[in-house]
Amino acid sequence: MQKHLLTIIIFLGLTTAILADTIKATVNGMVCGFCATGIERTFRTQPEVKAVDVDLENKLVTIHTREGQTIDDSKIKKLLGNAGYSVTGIVRKKS
Amino acid sequence: MIMQENDETGYTLSLDYTFTPVTALGFYIKQEENGKEILMLTPEFNTLLKRWNLPNGQGNIFNMTGAGLAHYQGNNQPCLWTAFLADYESRRWFFSYEPRFVWDGDIEKSFWQRARIGIAPYLANYKDLNTWLMLQVDHHPAKHDHFVATPLIRFFYKTYLFEVGYSSNQHIMVNWQIQF
Repeated sequence: MQKHLLTIIIFLGLTTAILADTIKATVNGMVCGFCATGIERTFRTQPEVKAVDVDLENKLVTIHTREGQTIDDSKIKKLLGNAGYSVTGIVRKKS
Repeated sequence: MIMQENDETGYTLSLDYTFTPVTALGFYIKQEENGKEILMLTPEFNTLLKRWNLPNGQGNIFNMTGAGLAHYQGNNQPCLWTAFLADYESRRWFFSYEPRFVWDGDIEKSFWQRARIGIAPYLANYKDLNTWLMLQVDHHPAKHDHFVATPLIRFFYKTYLFEVGYSSNQHIMVNWQIQF
């Protein structure tokens, strides 16, 4: 029984470690191509970011991290703040 | 960013490097037309003074200032200019107002102001071609034509901007901008 439990814990730990994050940040102030391109460039230079997508219509910046890596909320807010925008919400999903 | 404006006020070339999120330093060249044909060459310093990030739009106040040399009919003079640009932009609407003060030594001292209103006939995402229909109104008492209206069309694709218009004093406007 203990052996099984240990196996499950190790498996869950490894799975979590290799999962990537999909983070959706809702952002105020994004209205044009200059905004979107600037935001994309900002996140693409971050080592933990695999891909980024900007959706002007829904005011969303979607960040996909590399497997086993993440980017925390405070860093996302700081990067978007430095780019000139305000974050109103962040939703995360492991994938 | 590199920007060129060719309109009834003259020909402008501006090259800027944004070195902090709110400041940019660059170089500004303008050949004035429709009045004294003054050539201005100045470094320029641009500052974002205030930004409002709203759920459906963005408002800004910028200051642009330059100090350098003005050349007119063999006469070189120190020159100084400063402008404030206030704008509000949503994905559908655009409004801006810009007062500008220019001191070209003993050649000329002038004030001019520019306002713009624009509407996007369709809402495009940023990877699509964005189109704006705009009206620009200039008031520049130092020029031959004090009030000039210019209907124009703006095309915007990613970081490329292109505008073409035709002014009430019968000049073609061609502006473009590339952001690196």
